[in-house]
Amino acid sequence: MNLKLSFFVTLILSLVAIVSWECYWRYQGLEPNIDDNKNLWANQRAKLENFQANTAIFIGSSRILYDIQLDVWETDTNTKPIMLAVQGASPIPVFKDIVEKTNYNGLLVVGVTPGLFFSTLFPEASPIKRPQSLVDYYYNRTYAQRLNHKLSVPLQKHLAFYRDGDESWDSDVDLKTLLNKIQLKERSEPFYPPFNNFEEITLERHMKMPERMITDTAYANTVKEVWKTLLGGDFPPPEREATTNAFVELAKKFKDKGGQLVLVRCPSSGLFKEAESKGFSRDLFWDELVKKADVKSYHYMDYEQFGNLNLPEWSHLSTEDARFFTAELIKIMKEDGISFNSKTN
Amino acid sequence: MLFNSLSFMVFLVIVLALYYSKLFSWNNKKRMLLLASYIFYGLWNPPLVILLWISTVVDWTAGKKLAIEENQRKRKMWLLLSMIVNLGFLAFFKYGNFLLENFTSCLYAIGVEFQAQPMDIILPMGISFYTFQTMSYTIDMYNRKIEPARTFLDFALYVTFFPQLVAGPIVRAKDLITQFYEEKKASANQFFWGTFLLTIGLFQKIVLADTLLAETSDTVFGSKDVLHSLDAWTGTLAFSGQIFFDFAGYSTCAIGIALMLGIILPDNFKYPYAAIGFSDLWKRWHISLSTWLRDYLYIPLGGNRNGIIRMYVALMLTMLLGGLWHGAAWTFVIWGALHGIYLVVERLLKSKIKIKITAYNGIFLALLTYMLVNVTWVFFRAREFVTAKNMIASMFFMNTEGTKVLQSFDIIKVLVVILILFTSHWIMRNTSMKAVSKKSNPILFGVFWAILVFLIVIAQGSGEQFIYFQF
Repeated sequence: MNLKLSFFVTLILSLVAIVSWECYWRYQGLEPNIDDNKNLWANQRAKLENFQANTAIFIGSSRILYDIQLDVWETDTNTKPIMLAVQGASPIPVFKDIVEKTNYNGLLVVGVTPGLFFSTLFPEASPIKRPQSLVDYYYNRTYAQRLNHKLSVPLQKHLAFYRDGDESWDSDVDLKTLLNKIQLKERSEPFYPPFNNFEEITLERHMKMPERMITDTAYANTVKEVWKTLLGGDFPPPEREATTNAFVELAKKFKDKGGQLVLVRCPSSGLFKEAESKGFSRDLFWDELVKKADVKSYHYMDYEQFGNLNLPEWSHLSTEDARFFTAELIKIMKEDGISFNSKTN
Repeated sequence: MLFNSLSFMVFLVIVLALYYSKLFSWNNKKRMLLLASYIFYGLWNPPLVILLWISTVVDWTAGKKLAIEENQRKRKMWLLLSMIVNLGFLAFFKYGNFLLENFTSCLYAIGVEFQAQPMDIILPMGISFYTFQTMSYTIDMYNRKIEPARTFLDFALYVTFFPQLVAGPIVRAKDLITQFYEEKKASANQFFWGTFLLTIGLFQKIVLADTLLAETSDTVFGSKDVLHSLDAWTGTLAFSGQIFFDFAGYSTCAIGIALMLGIILPDNFKYPYAAIGFSDLWKRWHISLSTWLRDYLYIPLGGNRNGIIRMYVALMLTMLLGGLWHGAAWTFVIWGALHGIYLVVERLLKSKIKIKITAYNGIFLALLTYMLVNVTWVFFRAREFVTAKNMIASMFFMNTEGTKVLQSFDIIKVLVVILILFTSHWIMRNTSMKAVSKKSNPILFGVFWAILVFLIVIAQGSGEQFIYFQF
């Protein structure tokens, strides 16, 4: 058989098919997109090994990831922000890693999302397992994995169909994800509504809410549908005391090293605000945490300017309002005497 | 480095470019391949390359001494040195914690309370493969079956040759070292066929194993509940397909990559799920390991030379150790034991009943063999005995009250893939891909090949590790 002929037929057809696939997804409105995956996180974590005097670190969950705009922070505070917040996660595993495995003693801003922060300490529960897996990945990643990530970045930047997400909610269009969207007769757990993408992140993990979430209400509502399903599920009761005590213990160690710790409660609205008010009353959870940790803290409800912010899907700020929130928060922190750059490695 | 990764694609292009450039002599090309192999391994964990070096130096020295030494006692000492170093690596890195756990359990059983901290040991990738490969050299040298490698470079490349370094095929010295003696260059047809094999291997791994089957198998075996029969069977069948496509995929990639360099590696799989009986299965599944175990364990244990009972004992021991080779856990020992029992029962039955295999009873017997193999996969995949016990209970007692963890589409998807897998194995049972391709129209063949490439690209894959790397 003429394998050479077969090879060239393969080459041409493969190219045609791949280009068509790319065009199809672009026609469907998909744009090239960097994925917020474990490599991105690990690269930011690596910066802590040689942090600069004017470094500021952010940990927490997706709210602080979206709501703190890193470029605004960098300009207004003249610091180098490192974003280590993890979507859908408790900050405790990352905080523990920073306290116990690094010499960092600068400014550390912790975003508190009550449903995640106070959820649990159980290592197998997803709010703990997910950030811990990132910490572990940072320590265990191989040179080959680093190289793979470096090579994948240009592809992620230029191809709409090429995605490299780690999480089930990532809106990848790889074959497995597409097959998983096929829903025949429901047999085990109920089907989830589709979780459409609402993230745009840079290699430095500067997250922005895509413009479509603001201009296309129907699109934003699909995300709200997911939240409704999620919040309608059964959750174990929060482990308020255990999580608070674990955090306070780490906070004490961090402060003993000379670190400056700040707690921030980012805004929520709609169903989230309702659920958080009912299930995580401020006096029992937030106030108690602030009191025990004995650190500077900022709750969005305490500031008039944060009263009417735009959260297209109830949990994260639109980019414009996130920029406003960041700038205003910096002003408040400055007035409160927060020092933005003072420590050395 | 994984074959199913972007870094490997870049690595392969560079290696091929250097290999086929006119920059190097054959010796320098071999040096380049050796260096590339160390980089291939070292990009995972650089310090563990030292183990490869130790294994290489020890076995090279032992081989050289065995070639000239006439004193039988000294010859035995050199062989022993090679075995101690290689099996010592295996014992420490792979079985260290397992031995410690069992030692602790034994002490506890006799009333001695002993708490041992588990050792924090990394399992070097592919250690079972390269130690077995290099040991075969010294054993063959001891038995005067082969000539010593001509140069240290040839031997080092034999131990480290990157296409088959971490997951086989386990190649014998006589089949590989001699290929390094003269300049090798793939013919155009070999090169394109090698590229096709690499595509098939990646398709098996990325599309079939990781995309279509892995998630179902992980969901089922990761469940703590007693499952519904359909879920238990689907999960087990999914794993049977996943492990075949994962491992055969790796072997096919390895054979294809080597062929692109003009080096021929032996087949490691020959449509095993169409096997009629277990002797047939082991001639088709992981052939390089089963022949290794036959030549270096079963035959030295007496094989079938010392009567029926001794033969059965040798067979059981071989399969038990074969099970343990796969992993440091009792579940793997049970897997090996089940295969040993199957082989013993098959030989007993064959001595009593003679069946003429026809197309009709053949497919029934192949299906029966496949179903029995699936029972063994439960122990192979389950991390704990309780999981295996629950799975077996669900599979055989038609548990309709059990938990349903799979959606309808998952079940249909797995059953379709497995049906195609079994049917294609049955059809291909007595032929080969090469033979079929020769009869194909080149344009249609190109279309088929392009579909594979397209599916690989859209499946993308997340660089999942090959299952057999851990063995």
